[in-house]
Amino acid sequence: MISFVLADLRRLWLGAFVLVLLVALATALGVAVTLQERALRLGSARAAERFDLVVGAAGSETQLVLSSVFLQPSPLPLVPGSVLAKLATDPRVAWAAPVGFGDSFMGYPLVGTTTALVKGTTAGFAEGGLFAHEGEAIVGAAVHLPLGAEIKPMHGTAETGGETHTEITYRVVGRVKPTGTPWDRAILVPVQAVWHIHGLGHDHHDEDHDEDHEGHHDEDHHAAEAHGHDHHEDEGASVPAVQQVSDVGAPSDAAPPSAVPADHDHDGEGEHGADDHDEDGHHHGHIDPDAALNEVFTDEAPGLPAILVKPKTIADAYRLRQEYRTAGTLAVFPGEVLTRLYGTLGDAKMVLSAVAAGSQALVAAALLLVSVIHVTQRRRQIGALRAFGAPRLAVFGIVWSELLVLVLMGIALGFGGGYLAARLIGDAFTRQTGVILPVEFAAGDGAMALILLATGMVFAAIPALMAYRQSPAQALRS
Amino acid sequence: MLSLSIENLVVRVPDLQQPVLVIDRLDVPSGQHLAVTGGSGSGKSTLLNIVSGLERVRQGRVLWNGSDIAPLSESGRDRWRAQNVGLVMQDFHLFAGLTALANVLLPARLAGAADAATVARAQDLLARVGLARPSQRVETMSRGEMQRVAIARALLRQPGVIVADEPTASLDVESGAAVGDLLLEVATETGSTLIVASHDPRLIERLDRRLALAAGRIVTDSAAAEVAA
Ligand SMILES: Nc1ncnc2c1ncn2[C@@H]1O[C@H](COP(=O)(O)OP(=O)(O)OP(=O)(O)O)[C@@H](O)[C@H]1O
Ligand SMILES: [Mg+2]
Repeated sequence: MISFVLADLRRLWLGAFVLVLLVALATALGVAVTLQERALRLGSARAAERFDLVVGAAGSETQLVLSSVFLQPSPLPLVPGSVLAKLATDPRVAWAAPVGFGDSFMGYPLVGTTTALVKGTTAGFAEGGLFAHEGEAIVGAAVHLPLGAEIKPMHGTAETGGETHTEITYRVVGRVKPTGTPWDRAILVPVQAVWHIHGLGHDHHDEDHDEDHEGHHDEDHHAAEAHGHDHHEDEGASVPAVQQVSDVGAPSDAAPPSAVPADHDHDGEGEHGADDHDEDGHHHGHIDPDAALNEVFTDEAPGLPAILVKPKTIADAYRLRQEYRTAGTLAVFPGEVLTRLYGTLGDAKMVLSAVAAGSQALVAAALLLVSVIHVTQRRRQIGALRAFGAPRLAVFGIVWSELLVLVLMGIALGFGGGYLAARLIGDAFTRQTGVILPVEFAAGDGAMALILLATGMVFAAIPALMAYRQSPAQALRS
Repeated sequence: MLSLSIENLVVRVPDLQQPVLVIDRLDVPSGQHLAVTGGSGSGKSTLLNIVSGLERVRQGRVLWNGSDIAPLSESGRDRWRAQNVGLVMQDFHLFAGLTALANVLLPARLAGAADAATVARAQDLLARVGLARPSQRVETMSRGEMQRVAIARALLRQPGVIVADEPTASLDVESGAAVGDLLLEVATETGSTLIVASHDPRLIERLDRRLALAAGRIVTDSAAAEVAA
């Protein structure tokens, strides 16, 4: 019987091939959607799990997480430096590190931070070691820069027409081991250097701009005082706040929550650009690459888009989150924010799954139609089999197993193809974002395969039953 | 081997008022070689399908060695036919992609009845019908060779009756004659009853007995004519 089935399939190879292809494509679609969705969920959860608690200024939780954990550019409001100072000395905090972004180099985001964060979130160095001076940088595993490479940071990104900073050239001194997170694509530099480039972290007192600042930051006067002055004058002041958009250069942009009218930005920058170079030009060019790092943060520290906090215990984490959920600050568990985000994305997944299921139903219908036509066309052959003494059950078995072989092959190929597609998409995603997407099968997928298989078996049984019920005499007459 | 008795048989088809076959009484003794003749549509194939159990008997009795096949179920008739009838058809009904040997063995294999002895017998039969290459694929064979494979297949399970529906009709004169010879020879060798529907006068005249049908009724029967004469 097996040899007969195989001979039959060989003879009808083209039709069989198309059937297998159809089943494979439909299966692959469903598998890819399932795997990809799971990979995205797992991958981003893993990327987030290194960051226990993120503190930022009041605003969008999602944006805070996307910017800090996934290094996605978005204009964030600033949290006052005093918050960092307070967190850093809090006994419940293992370490708290500032994250300053806004510059880039060769498409890699530059992140200003501290040695504590590097130690706390990476598994050590593949090459070299930590930065110890202002002019030193370390790179993520996916950054294609050798040790010793020179980095001239660009304000914003090349795509948005950023300009290159001339104040400093960093030198790569270390490469961290892969973490599977977007931070693999980041260039980490001392936050102190970022501040200095942008003219922050010095004590100036330009009273004239305070009002403006407070207008936006009215909920936190300390913040305004702590870092407001420099903000207003310097091109760089806004940079830590605004990761990408180079035209958001005006001081006033930094303070308000992210929704800043575009025209305002432009006005601000134009104005400030002129002012800046006239009045505050002295901030630029004052950077000493060999200056030692000072990672003790005072209330005078500039405003920050985000602070990553490592609480000592889980209870501490909850308490800290509670405490920093104030009118002016926001504290989130990235994992929790992601979970909520998936809740929203769940609908998208449902749509995709529905599309996949719809295509599978279509294929099932096409399969049924094709096999019914096939059986009708083979009436004579099937009739002859019985006329010559093959039992009805054997005839049923032949038709059924032929279809089943095709469906099985299709499902197997579909699982392989879907896996491959998910992997390829995942790899492309990893290259883009640094987030490693763990494309893997779970126990539930076995159930999916079984359901597909069972459906295939039931559908294949319909033409087989037709063949079973066919009268051999009638079949031979046609 | 098998003797046939038909009693009060009436075969109707859904669309026709008139029955397509009416036989009050027909007896075929075991080992007889019977030719069924008649014009197209006269009911030859219908008769053969009835006696081989392909068609259900709804009215009348069809007794082989005294036992009626009319009450058998569909599967029951399939089983009975597999064990007792060797079928040869005008269109061969061989399965492309399989070798001659595999074609001979296919029904037995599907019925789970192909042991080593059966395989050996299949090889002998192919040699007997004059085919030297059992492993040749059937689609590469000439039509005459194909019908030989079909005859070997019909003989595999040592049937008590060989039923052949126009076995030479799709062959040229020469290979038709050879196939006719072969059928008669093997039927004689095995002692099987042979029932052949045919238009081929050269084949018909060599059989023991000729039955002529017209519009589903027996119009002449050479055996009855002899008795009458
Ligand atoms: N299932 C059916 N439905 C309708 N008519 C049928 C059916 N089966 C047989 N017939 C009719 O019964 C008659 C006898 O058919 P049968 O096939 O027995 O003729 P035949 O003698 O074998 O003819 P041929 O020499 O052409 O093979 C025909 O008129 C045919 O149309
Ligand atoms: Mg006929």
